[in-house]
Amino acid sequence: MTKAVESAKPAPLKNANQETPTNGIRVERTFWRFSISQRWEHAVLLVTFASLLLTGIPQKYRAAAWSQQLLSSPERVTTLRQIHHIAALLLATLVLYHLGRAITLMVKRKLPGDMLPTWQDIKDAWQMLKYLVFLTDKTPKFGKYNFEQKFTYWVLFFGIGIMGVSGFIIWFPVFFTNFMPGGVVPAAKLAHSTEAVVAGIFVVIWHFYHVHLQRLNLSIFTGRITEHEMRTYHTAEYERLTDELATLLKEGDSQ
Amino acid sequence: MADNRFSLKILLLVSFILVGILLAELSLAKPVQAGGSTQETEEYCLSCHGNPELNLTLPDGEILSLYISQEMLDASIHSPAGIECQACHTEITTYPHPEIQYQTARELARAYYLACRKCHKSNYDLAQDSMHARVAEAGNLSAPVCTDCHGDHDVRPPDQPRALISNTCGKCHSEINEVYKQSIHGGALINEENPDVPVCTDCHGVHNIQDPRTALFRVLSPDLCAGCHANPELMGKYGLSSDVYSLYETSWHGVDIAVYKASWPTIWHDSAVCTDCHGVHNIRPHTDVLSSVHPDNLQATCAKCHPGASPNWTGAWTGHNKISIDRTPILFYVDAFYSSFIDIVLWACIVYVLLQIIRATVDKVRRSLP
Repeated sequence: MTKAVESAKPAPLKNANQETPTNGIRVERTFWRFSISQRWEHAVLLVTFASLLLTGIPQKYRAAAWSQQLLSSPERVTTLRQIHHIAALLLATLVLYHLGRAITLMVKRKLPGDMLPTWQDIKDAWQMLKYLVFLTDKTPKFGKYNFEQKFTYWVLFFGIGIMGVSGFIIWFPVFFTNFMPGGVVPAAKLAHSTEAVVAGIFVVIWHFYHVHLQRLNLSIFTGRITEHEMRTYHTAEYERLTDELATLLKEGDSQ
Repeated sequence: MADNRFSLKILLLVSFILVGILLAELSLAKPVQAGGSTQETEEYCLSCHGNPELNLTLPDGEILSLYISQEMLDASIHSPAGIECQACHTEITTYPHPEIQYQTARELARAYYLACRKCHKSNYDLAQDSMHARVAEAGNLSAPVCTDCHGDHDVRPPDQPRALISNTCGKCHSEINEVYKQSIHGGALINEENPDVPVCTDCHGVHNIQDPRTALFRVLSPDLCAGCHANPELMGKYGLSSDVYSLYETSWHGVDIAVYKASWPTIWHDSAVCTDCHGVHNIRPHTDVLSSVHPDNLQATCAKCHPGASPNWTGAWTGHNKISIDRTPILFYVDAFYSSFIDIVLWACIVYVLLQIIRATVDKVRRSLP
């Protein structure tokens, strides 16, 4: 999954370290960043997250005039809820797939640890903060996922967890109170309603800034990242991979 | 200036004349009203109708007593105020009377009450827009007319004492009245002559009583309860919380009902209103074992709408209480989590992104400088 292989098409393996423009065509190597499965996961997440937010917010603000304009009849409320529930089931399936895959990989001891928070992330964040307040001009060297990206993943991981659990509780409150205290129902309602807005704001401010405004990063759709981006934004990972490659090549030569 | 003073004088003069005329009229009118308990025409009518034996056999065989006692008239509000027999019995001017046209006593009553309209037009008109009038139109002649509630020759203020009202309604709605008498409201009215508890008319209206079984009545009903139960002064007298309504409004049930009230008041909606849990005429305090909201009965009350609700379910209801660590600990901690920790996280993210924007902008400007 994380095995970064240079895209075969642009350049043969032997010219790996050269970027020679030939006939006015600049050949840029790319690295695989996301597998096809991960890209699909993101796409499904994007669609379900957006539909849940769009169908949930009018329900949260039912007292507001704009919401009542949208939900102009009881039938519309029912329809909106149905869309919300369908999207919720899709997202729940996605979560189960994601977790199932992680567990399978873990059992096979093949789960890459790139997304796990490490002590290095704290150090990187501190270095980054110093950079942001002009105490240093050096940005930290990031691995495959920088601490911002890890933070995005984990905030949404737990956010979706809260949304899922609380959502199913308020969808089937009678069932859940068979084995849970009644107090979980209003608590779930509050959590669901608040977390939705928090997650929405978080995605718009944090995620959209980092992938759209700071620089347009479409790697989650294309699956690839250019060598230049790799060198600039994931320096540590780039160095690790090129070192690995160099060793591989050396070994190949010596044989 | 001079003109103004002149017109002021005229105004004063005209006012004096008007007041004078008014006083004169009043003093002229007085003797008629204060002419003793017995009026001239009343005396004349009672010379026959004062006989307890006097009666009339109607075409349907019913015997209608024609006896009117002087005491009854004296106790009424009309006779001492100088309102004579003829004021209502307009077609009878002398003896012998014109032939009675009615087949039954009920028919006669339903015809005579039209006389009320002469003086009490607004209330009469209101009554025409009532459930009672509609039932009558549909053919039920037992539906009450003015005199059925107010009395006829013995007409008196209907709310003195206040408990008279529920008994008046109870003449027909006897079962409901019995239930009401057992309720916290009815009990306080009958036993303590409590001036604050609602009588029938406080919730149902007076003359234009509407069908309380409609979707519209249902969505508006919490406002009826709120009329008293959201009044801190009134509730304070009885040690009750006046926040129950405002908290209900923020609950799942309350928000739902508010939306229906605002947008679709005539579409039936099952989200609970006050009466679904507390009862209607049989409302009792939650400490009463017979109350539908007594802790022992709560699960069954919830299960009316939430079939299969377990004993835990009742703990889900928070619609009358503020978030508190004792009563709703889970809700309390979730609320605390979002209002402190998550707030801080979100603000940290915002500040971080702002710092990034600033640094990126500064770097860009620096690079563009020669």
